[in-house]
Amino acid sequence: MATLSIKSLGKVYPGGVTAVSDVNVDIADGEFIVLVGPSGCGKSTILRMIAGLEGITSGDLQIDDRRVNDLEPGERDIAMVFQNYALYPHMSVRGNMEYGLKNEGLPKAQIAERIAEAARTLRLEEFLDRKPANLSGGQRQRVAMGRAIVRDPKVFLFDEPLSNLDAKLRTQLRAELKALHKRLGATFVYVTHDQVEAMSLADRIIIMSNGKVEQIGTPMDLYLRPASRFVADFIGSPSMNVLDGTVSSDRRSLQLNGSHQIDFGTELPTAAGNQIAIGIRPEHLHQNTAGETRIELSVGFIEQLGADTVVHGTIAGSQSPLAVRLNGVQARDSGDSIALSCGRDQIHLFDGTTGQRLNWDNQ
Amino acid sequence: MVENRPFLTFLTHAVLIIGVLFLCFPVWMALVASTHGPEALSSSPIPLWFGDRAWENYSQLLVGGLPEAGGVPIGSMMFNSLIMALVITFGKIAISIISAYAIVYFQFPFRMGFFWMIFITLMLPVEVRILPTFDVVVKMGMLNTYAGLTVPLIASATATFLFRQFFLTIPDELVEAARIDRAGPLRFFWDILLPLSRTNIAALFIILFIYGWNQYLWPLLITTDESLYTVVMGIQRMVNSGESLPVWHYIMGTAVLAMIPPVIVVVAMQKLFVKGLVESEK
Amino acid sequence: MQKRVVFRSRLLPYLLVLPQIAITLIFFFWPAYQALESSFFIEDAFGFSRQWVAMQNYVELFQDPSYLRSFKTTLIFGVSVAVMAMSISLGLAVAANRVVKAATGYRTMLIWPYAVAPALAGVIWYFLMNPSLGIVAYWLKNVGVDWNHYLNGDQALLLVIVAAAWKQVSYNFLFFLAGLQSIPKSLIEAAAIDRAGPVRRFWTIVFPLLTPTTFFLLVVNLVYAFFDTFALVHATTEGGPVDATSILVFRVYNTGFIGQDYGSSAAQSVILMGLVIMMTFVQFRFVERKVQY
Repeated sequence: MATLSIKSLGKVYPGGVTAVSDVNVDIADGEFIVLVGPSGCGKSTILRMIAGLEGITSGDLQIDDRRVNDLEPGERDIAMVFQNYALYPHMSVRGNMEYGLKNEGLPKAQIAERIAEAARTLRLEEFLDRKPANLSGGQRQRVAMGRAIVRDPKVFLFDEPLSNLDAKLRTQLRAELKALHKRLGATFVYVTHDQVEAMSLADRIIIMSNGKVEQIGTPMDLYLRPASRFVADFIGSPSMNVLDGTVSSDRRSLQLNGSHQIDFGTELPTAAGNQIAIGIRPEHLHQNTAGETRIELSVGFIEQLGADTVVHGTIAGSQSPLAVRLNGVQARDSGDSIALSCGRDQIHLFDGTTGQRLNWDNQ
Repeated sequence: MVENRPFLTFLTHAVLIIGVLFLCFPVWMALVASTHGPEALSSSPIPLWFGDRAWENYSQLLVGGLPEAGGVPIGSMMFNSLIMALVITFGKIAISIISAYAIVYFQFPFRMGFFWMIFITLMLPVEVRILPTFDVVVKMGMLNTYAGLTVPLIASATATFLFRQFFLTIPDELVEAARIDRAGPLRFFWDILLPLSRTNIAALFIILFIYGWNQYLWPLLITTDESLYTVVMGIQRMVNSGESLPVWHYIMGTAVLAMIPPVIVVVAMQKLFVKGLVESEK
Repeated sequence: MQKRVVFRSRLLPYLLVLPQIAITLIFFFWPAYQALESSFFIEDAFGFSRQWVAMQNYVELFQDPSYLRSFKTTLIFGVSVAVMAMSISLGLAVAANRVVKAATGYRTMLIWPYAVAPALAGVIWYFLMNPSLGIVAYWLKNVGVDWNHYLNGDQALLLVIVAAAWKQVSYNFLFFLAGLQSIPKSLIEAAAIDRAGPVRRFWTIVFPLLTPTTFFLLVVNLVYAFFDTFALVHATTEGGPVDATSILVFRVYNTGFIGQDYGSSAAQSVILMGLVIMMTFVQFRFVERKVQY
């Protein structure tokens, strides 16, 4: 168990491509940290730098206050679970789990004890003598986790461990992983491109794009107060509606691209004539006129999900797309219009050029 | 097949049977001839069925030794062939697998240079550098030694490429997992890479064993001492024995003996052999 | 061509390539260089003195009618062996690919000659065709062919061609069979639905799709015929009668070891090297198999 401290971490590949720049984060002991972002954003590179599989170009990496930049992967006291499991195909489940411990020179009795315990935890007892080829995907992933657990490392690293599994199994293993984290109380660093996985697992999420950290915070921080337009768009499904427009001269409404205008009933925190974007989550638009901000939706098509209905369309009188999530089963035809409103505290504002969040007095 | 045409099926089997006969008949005749005495083989047509001298002929060949073959028993030639084939096979596999390992799993100056040097050996078969290679062996004092018979043949571009190709198909994550499991380069090679290469090694073994066993020109150059003769090379002494007429029953017996080990290897390990052959040439 | 993660070690990789590179340098590169060098000298038989003669060895070679005849013999030999071995094995592969029952049995019976050394193949055929007691020669005599490869050069050449092709059939068969098996069955079925009969299907669908295999085998067979058959010739006809079967590799050996003409033998080696380099180049350039760089 350990803390992990990342200071101005950077990675430049030979050839000059910058994969990661200036990442700073202090991870507490026992914390479950998820690195999330689209592919190529640098999240795996950070994980691999922590593991020691990738050299560190700049910055410092400390595990328990010890600088580990130049240590070999085997010397960092970490364990890693790979997306494709990376089990040694010629070794049995037991062989896979004990390989690292043998290399460490642990006494036989202790190895056997640790494997028995991990096998019990992961319900792998009956498979110990099988080869990985004779296991299902979910079982292989559990073996990979077992291999990590027996090492009793300071930090667990996970590189998209559930991506190769089907949806149902993924949900199941997600729950198991969460339970495992609780039981072990260890520090987890977990990489995924799936925002649902990130939201459901993490104590804190590091969301990245283009090699830079966009925001670090709890899942609810990211959902309720996205620091940038990118985060707003990435977190939540269906995605947040983001509409570009120009602040009107009285700063009380937004002129959308097109001709439509949205009134706020209060002053926007930015100068008249500025380009900004507003963001409203589909689930925060309601079929009433109680909210301060009113929008009329012209229905395009609908997705019936059973518990709720997602209606896609455009803001009436404009080309701006808008989606709304309504409770229960809702029947709507294309061309219908729906009157919607939204509380002002649920509208997010982003700078039109930098995409950074703009705070206003009500938040 | 797409459609059922009895005539085509008949033709198919006819073609295959004729093919089998064409390939088997010469060796059948060799077998038959090796069981007769010189009298039966002195006038045409020679018999098409076995004679009764099999035991006599083969025991004479294996342990007795023939003046026509320099007085060396074929048994001892076969022993030399076996040594040569095994040393070449294991030598090629060993040095190829480690050089492929270095080229794939390490980054070091001249890496590609070494790769190309190994590649170029494909273009320099023994046959085109006979005399100077012979000179090198003479200068190194390796004439008439097992070392001279084997070491110069141990470099192998084909085997190196095969292993390299195979290593490239092994997922990167495996070496990463091993590094996290505290395995250094040698331990990774020994514990992970070598066991994973078992099938490739076995397939290569078959092809290289045949290659080593069937060497002709090289033992012809390197050995002047009959006790080091290999059987495939030794047989020519009996065929072209100068003044005397060839002793065909012995020559055919020798030919049969000389082809038994490699043929057994091919037939017994057919599946591996086919896989190995087709892959090593890709 | 390399792993994403590589081991860090300064000395180890060099130790690992050392044995291979050492053998390569000592027994491949150095002799090849020696051959190149001595092809520009004339050396006396005892190796005491030598004299720089520039291209003279080469010029003499190409003015020597018997060397030119060797070139022609080698070409005839190589092409005949390749064509004969490849067409027989293609026929067998097509047949074997049709067979469902006893397929393994047939395959076993067809591949074992791969293991037979060229020298042994030569010796056995030499025996079968022996003018006085060979069974094939006897049959030929019965149909009116007077076979004597000791005297008739063309017949001697034919003998080594047949023996060399016989040995190579198995190898080609395996590659053709693998090539045939890799042709998607749906293509053949589509052609059958398009009303192409078996023969038409073969020539319009199967054979074109086999082109890479065929070309690859052509190069391999030529290399085999040019170089690996030294043993076959040496163990049987020894180049005779009167040079009729004296292919280029045999001549290199003969000139150097028997004739002790080092310069000329070296020049011949260099010419052969050029030939191998050319063929290797063709193989890698036009047949997109083997390594990617």
